[in-house]
Amino acid sequence: MDFTFKEDHIDFSDSIRKFLMVEAAPEMLREIWETESGRSKALREKLAEQGLTALSVPEEFNGIGLGDLDWILIHQELGYYAIPDSLSDTAYLAAWLLNNLPGDAALKKEWLPKIANGSARIAIAHPVNPMVADAGNADLLLMWHNDEIHAVQRKQVQMTLRTSIDASRRLFDVTWKPSDATRICPASHGASLWQGLLDRAALAAAAHLIGLAQRMLDLGIDYSAQRKQFGKPIGSFQAVKHQLADVAVKIEFAKPVLYRAAYSVMHDKSRRSVNVSHAKLACGEAAWFSARKSIQVHGAMGYTWEADLQMFMKRAWALNAAWGDQSFHKKRIADFIYSSGAALGPGETFT
Amino acid sequence: MKVLVSVKRVVDYNVRIQIKPDGSGVVTDGVKHSMNPFDEIAMEEAVRLKEKGKVTEIIAVTLGGAKGEETLRTALAFGADRAIHVKEEGEIQPLTAARALAAIFKKEGAQILFTGKQAIDDDANQTAQMTAALLDLPQATFASKVELDGTKAQVTREIDAGLETLEVDLPAVISADLRLNEPRYLKLPDIMKAKKKTIEAVSFADLGVEAAASLKTIKTTPPPTRSKGVMVKTVDELVSALKAKGLV
Repeated sequence: MDFTFKEDHIDFSDSIRKFLMVEAAPEMLREIWETESGRSKALREKLAEQGLTALSVPEEFNGIGLGDLDWILIHQELGYYAIPDSLSDTAYLAAWLLNNLPGDAALKKEWLPKIANGSARIAIAHPVNPMVADAGNADLLLMWHNDEIHAVQRKQVQMTLRTSIDASRRLFDVTWKPSDATRICPASHGASLWQGLLDRAALAAAAHLIGLAQRMLDLGIDYSAQRKQFGKPIGSFQAVKHQLADVAVKIEFAKPVLYRAAYSVMHDKSRRSVNVSHAKLACGEAAWFSARKSIQVHGAMGYTWEADLQMFMKRAWALNAAWGDQSFHKKRIADFIYSSGAALGPGETFT
Repeated sequence: MKVLVSVKRVVDYNVRIQIKPDGSGVVTDGVKHSMNPFDEIAMEEAVRLKEKGKVTEIIAVTLGGAKGEETLRTALAFGADRAIHVKEEGEIQPLTAARALAAIFKKEGAQILFTGKQAIDDDANQTAQMTAALLDLPQATFASKVELDGTKAQVTREIDAGLETLEVDLPAVISADLRLNEPRYLKLPDIMKAKKKTIEAVSFADLGVEAAASLKTIKTTPPPTRSKGVMVKTVDELVSALKAKGLV
């Protein structure tokens, strides 16, 4: 079995990295953070121009028609640059959910082309998240209700903005009234769709987290190479460089777990949810570890508003709890390993 | 108007170059490669001219081993209409590259050969000039602006004294400098479309080209380590220090 990424994956990731390096520089992120909506129409248009909004949309709806594995390295890059845009919610999650709805061709026909061309923002409400991200900017909200899926317009809900530790997020408490008119999928089919969506959302969050972990490590390395004490860069001292080496090791151990989860989701393997939870935990721990070590390397200034590090650290903090916190994902793994006949061990890694 | 753009696969500019232990060259195995940045600029210029309706067809050409195909796919994603791979393993010296490019230029009946002014691996800055000489065509190197006007091209060049504008009759060879343009980001749909385009593979034998072996690498060494600087307090002290080193 060959687990290396295909040339396409690497090309996509390289291309997005070059784009984000310029278009998502930290000063640009700060500007967007300070706007009321927290989102930039220009950035979304540029993301659409690059083809990112069309990635999961089938070709018949003007998309590119790619899958979960094609997204994984892109998610990592989006995490690394901490883009202030809910691209994943719309272009990855909502596109997948709408495309997999039983019937309802009209809804697909209306929304999938809009997702592809970047003109629609879609927010998703799932009980695992207490608040709805980006509801205030959404053209459509896909709501969970007892495993049913409902589609509502923004004017059909009441929402209250809540503050997030991550200034790039816009979180809302949303109240609404489900009805037959808003229901687009019954619970009988909706339950498995919501499960599939939750796994994809946690997978995307994990990939963003590993990107963030790498970014914070890179910031730590840059700072330790420049900051001098006793006439030498602090990165030359063992006490500092070994801390960052530990972070690098943690990141490299989390990556295969992430890629296995992506493979598992793409091919709908029986242990898909367990693999995703493993990835979310491993990537979350790597990001958290990277944040702590990088702050220590920076000293107190690492936590100040002026230092870029805080932007990535707060994003990691918020993402760690999104789409299932540590307890949630540990429970999913525990439920599996305590189940009778649980297949464990190295021989079962890719079953 | 048909234009040829030569693109070279080089070690990516972000990679920290390592010298092989035996000093025979630099380590290229397991190292990220990409299109020579100056060739990207040449490619971008050809695409912009096509978008303006001045160029009808862009043919990307590369020379080298099997992995050169990746570079051609990038060129196709940029907007090249087709690609030719001169598939030859081993070192290709500038004169050999120039011979192959000249042969393809003639065969295709192209009007312009766009290249980067130099490749960032050997920094030779020879291929464009040699190709022009072999084809007996005018050349405009280090272009920072290109304007096409029927059978002529106006090319602005950055020189030590400022800017120089040349007018060359077409067909001609033009090499791109850093500030000619800023290459676009490749879009995912274009990368995907590029995968489906066919690449014509040819050999030196097909082109009737003989590989040159006029250059021999004797030794590759890293640049000397920069010695520690000295802080001076006054201009007089600086002048004295420079005089002491025999620099002024």
